[in-house]
Amino acid sequence: MKSDRTVANNTLSFQKLLSNSSDFQTSDLTAGERQYRLYYLDTMIEFAIVRDHIIQPLLVHKDVSVRQAVPILHVIETELLAEATMALMEGKTIVQVEGEATLYLFGTAMNKERSINIPVNERVLRGSNEALIENLDTNLNLMRKLIATPDLVVRYYRIGRRSNTKIAILYLKSIVNEDIVKELDRRLVSIDIDYIEAPGFIQELMDEKSFSLFPQMLVTERPDRVRSYLMDGKVAILTNGSPDGLILPVSFWAFFQSPDDYQINWLLGSTFRILRIFCFIIAISLPGAYVAMVTFDPRILPFEIALTLQSSMQFIAMPAVLEAVSMLLILEILREATIRLPSPIGQTIGVVGGIVIGTVVVQSNLVSNTMVVVVAFTGIASFIIPSYEMSSAARLLPYPFIFMSAILGLIGLELAYLFVLAHLSRLHMMGVPYFYTGLNGGSMRDTLIRAPIWRLRTRAKESLTNNKVRIRNPRGWEK
Amino acid sequence: MIHLKQLSTQQLTCLVILTQVGVHVLSIPFNESRHSGHDAWMSILFGGVVAQAVIVIIYWLGKRHPNQSLPQYMGVVVGKPIGVLVNLLFAAYCAESCLLVTVSYTDVIERWLLVTTPWYVILGLSIAIAAYIASSPLRSIAVVTQSIMFMFLVCVVIVLTSGTGQGDYRHLLPIGTHGIGAIIRDSIPALWLYAGYELLLYVFPFVKSHRHKDIVIAMTIANGVTTLFYVVLSMLVTYKFSESQINTIAEPLVFILRQFNWPVVQSLDILFITIWLAVVAVTAYMYLFLSARYLAHIFRNEIRKHTMLVWLLGGICFIVGLWGEDREKVIRFTVYHNYATGIMVIIMPTLLLLISLMRGRGSVVR
Repeated sequence: MKSDRTVANNTLSFQKLLSNSSDFQTSDLTAGERQYRLYYLDTMIEFAIVRDHIIQPLLVHKDVSVRQAVPILHVIETELLAEATMALMEGKTIVQVEGEATLYLFGTAMNKERSINIPVNERVLRGSNEALIENLDTNLNLMRKLIATPDLVVRYYRIGRRSNTKIAILYLKSIVNEDIVKELDRRLVSIDIDYIEAPGFIQELMDEKSFSLFPQMLVTERPDRVRSYLMDGKVAILTNGSPDGLILPVSFWAFFQSPDDYQINWLLGSTFRILRIFCFIIAISLPGAYVAMVTFDPRILPFEIALTLQSSMQFIAMPAVLEAVSMLLILEILREATIRLPSPIGQTIGVVGGIVIGTVVVQSNLVSNTMVVVVAFTGIASFIIPSYEMSSAARLLPYPFIFMSAILGLIGLELAYLFVLAHLSRLHMMGVPYFYTGLNGGSMRDTLIRAPIWRLRTRAKESLTNNKVRIRNPRGWEK
Repeated sequence: MIHLKQLSTQQLTCLVILTQVGVHVLSIPFNESRHSGHDAWMSILFGGVVAQAVIVIIYWLGKRHPNQSLPQYMGVVVGKPIGVLVNLLFAAYCAESCLLVTVSYTDVIERWLLVTTPWYVILGLSIAIAAYIASSPLRSIAVVTQSIMFMFLVCVVIVLTSGTGQGDYRHLLPIGTHGIGAIIRDSIPALWLYAGYELLLYVFPFVKSHRHKDIVIAMTIANGVTTLFYVVLSMLVTYKFSESQINTIAEPLVFILRQFNWPVVQSLDILFITIWLAVVAVTAYMYLFLSARYLAHIFRNEIRKHTMLVWLLGGICFIVGLWGEDREKVIRFTVYHNYATGIMVIIMPTLLLLISLMRGRGSVVR
């Protein structure tokens, strides 16, 4: 619909388009013989900007055009009411001169945002303490400041039929694999949904295998982490309204990396990396292994240890499988309760969980001592994984392992391992394999271990970049 | 999209090693010492040399058709109707290998670990896992195999640590007393140990290498590692047991593992048999995969439903495998299967190469 020359008609059209919404306001001013009408949503605009930079200049400069009078950088001229209505949604103020059809859209949006905080979910000991926030522009500002190169490409998308959420993808043009960007573009454009909730919706709409427990994209709230992956040739997705960035394509190993690894001595960094991967294995299979050993193959244990186990299990009526499953369930309930409970009464969990369940369950011979130790160890091991998504996967995986161990003992455990291994190696993201063994060639350098910086000369294998070499010799000097 | 069908030469090496080693490890060198006695390790070594010769033949055949796998160019070499028949034979042979491997190892598990568990549970779950892996693309299979390589190395360490210890090196002496004839005669059973390298017939075009020569090098490394492992294993067994003991012990490795005393793990044999399951699984899923691939090419148009074929073959293996509970049947079947191996793995590639050579040029190299 085209805009009308008379402001009264336009006001009616706007009101119709906005369904007589109460926060739609107009105000009139007269300067000389010209009459202006301002249209705006009073919930979306910054009054000071409108007062100082639109109203005042218009009153002072009586005989120049609106464009010349108003000192606002962001201005669009249009005659389309639909476009103007969209602009109102974004907090723009529309100025119309009585008798002219042209609408001037001025950027006067009010920005209410929280200040940049420290990361809550991904704490590090050394390194930057900035976290992404809900405002996309601020996040892009943070990223641009970290990567000051014209190579950094930002691409906007609008997703959500009704919410019109702004999404940005970021990548480094000379490093990224163009096929991945093309495929990502294809998938983002074809998303057709009412509104989008990042990062969960985007992840689920883009995942190829939806029946997988393993996260196929990395979620992070740290700009420095986003930068390190962009430098590896990956693509980041930032969404307005979400303080989390999504990174893809990532491999299984990325979920065990932490920015801290790169801040400390590489030997320590590698040790911690290996520790995390080891803990992942513990977290998924320790209860299963315990059940297998206790019920099927106690012969595998040395005699003395078998005696210790036997003494702790002597008076327990429940079979080991039930013990394991019930204790793990209790652990899950405690964990979920801790997240949901308001913090003032959070202390209760400690008392109920630690004392009542931990001690009394053993004293009343419901669950054996060793089982409590095993489950506690499993729980702690799953906490050590830096990515919340991966750690959640590690929370659910023990159950199939216990099930298999309960049927076939250690053989069942082995079969479960094989299944997980096969599943991992079948996963793909954008045609990029998710899992590869970190043993061959140079691929071990940033997967199983964290090699010294001057040895990290090639980019991560899974981003399949055209530009594989990071840099020839980062340590320019010769020893 | 990004092309992911190719294997690296390193992955090829892993695939071949792990397809070659399998259930037999437990019984080495029982079958190979019937005539050669304590010289069994020489028979095994000789078997490895023969395997190497066949690898060269297969490589030669593959090099003549570098862009196609055997089931695709079979028709070109032997003509359409015979080609279909031979493809079918290969498919049957691979399915049979998969069946035999799973049945034999289920038997081992049934005897040593899970005595009371029903046969069909162990067999069914093993075949299900093998089929799940075999229904993946070749690259995924290679990645799984690479990871299992790690378990194989753990097993090798277990064997080496428990094998060296008290024993008598004089059991190995005097070398060669049984005569060349006996050694060569015993190298025939040794040939079955090495089956597995014939997967090159199928994977040749998928290997990513700068030169074709890299493929034969990778294969030689794989076969060399397997041969070395077998020879060391048979020497360790001979070091531990005298000739008369070997004659009565069918699975000497289990006894060697069992008597080893380690304060952390009481009986290493359980641990070994458990971890070794993964290594045996490689043989099972690789053959299942190959079988499905050969079967896919029996009609004029390739059957594209790989997953369906794999599960179909897996189901057949499971049903036939239910009869494997009777050990006598398995042993009789093994004898027959050994002949089949000789024909399909050694004679067939040689024949194909000869025919291909007689008919002149191979496929055009693009």
